[in-house]
Amino acid sequence: MTPRMQQISQLDRVIHEPARLAIMLILGGAGDADFLYLQREGGFTQGNLSGHLAKLEEAGYVEIEKKFKGKVPLTVCSLTGKGRTAFAEYSNRMLGLLQSNGACGSPRP
Amino acid sequence: MPIASPGRRAASYWFVDGLPDILAGMTLLIFGALGLWWRIHARRPSSQFDFFFLAAGLLLLFWKGRAILDFLKARVTYPRTGYVQPPEELSETPAGRSDTLITLSLRPAPPPDENVTRFQSRTVMVILWWCFLLSGLNPWKRWYALLAMPALAVTLYALNRRSERPFRWWSALILALTGPALLWLDVAPRLQPTLPLLLAGVWLVAQGACTLVGYLRANPYPRTQEGVSA
Repeated sequence: MTPRMQQISQLDRVIHEPARLAIMLILGGAGDADFLYLQREGGFTQGNLSGHLAKLEEAGYVEIEKKFKGKVPLTVCSLTGKGRTAFAEYSNRMLGLLQSNGACGSPRP
Repeated sequence: MPIASPGRRAASYWFVDGLPDILAGMTLLIFGALGLWWRIHARRPSSQFDFFFLAAGLLLLFWKGRAILDFLKARVTYPRTGYVQPPEELSETPAGRSDTLITLSLRPAPPPDENVTRFQSRTVMVILWWCFLLSGLNPWKRWYALLAMPALAVTLYALNRRSERPFRWWSALILALTGPALLWLDVAPRLQPTLPLLLAGVWLVAQGACTLVGYLRANPYPRTQEGVSA
């Protein structure tokens, strides 16, 4: 296995899945967000989002809390410290891979 | 301009229901009206004393604004389209000032990627300071509103055009056109310095109300408790 392929195989598979990557991106940029906001922003179905959030929570990347805003119950999700670190590592690794491949320039026609 | 990053989308989401505009506009409107009332009824109205009313209103807005908005959004916005952490209100630091200068010089601003806003400093405070400074000088007498309103409209448009809450050009044009309208109505020069505050307040409330109506029509109240239709 070449070093590059080794690097690719070392990518965090929990984050690498597109839907979970979208969730991590949204929570990383926005801070706390509730289930409904994530669903609308990411274009997920309810079951799909629940499944992906469960996997992220199981990995310790996302914290899910039941909160009340006024009298409205909200399922608020946020990145944990471990999640932020893992996401930063994933981003750096991915960026390094793409840059070494010359894929971070202008898009090819 | 599309807002791409999740942080900027979250910041612009704060303004999706028009409630921040309505609250800021109502504050300007109520306390500006108190200032106008003072100017009309006081025997010897100090030229600046009416702005103490406005300062009181703004203090209230800065102190309790977030709590009031959170209370309203918990009943209007969060059940319909969800909750996201409110944007942090950034004060104008030296870095912020350079950002403002870049915006004014019409060069592309650096891409912001955080969940932050400058609505208070670039809209509410701009209206206050603009009116306060011009009122202190008041060099144009009856031409005051004619010159002040277009200048205020251009400033608000330019400062916010790349922000998370931009104003549309035609909306700024409406604000600018209130200047000639006031000249046509021949308002007494003594009363003119408080009028930009009232007009800016009405302008903000009207925009916020339109946004709110559009938002409520597009997002009816959900059936289930958590805001997700089954």
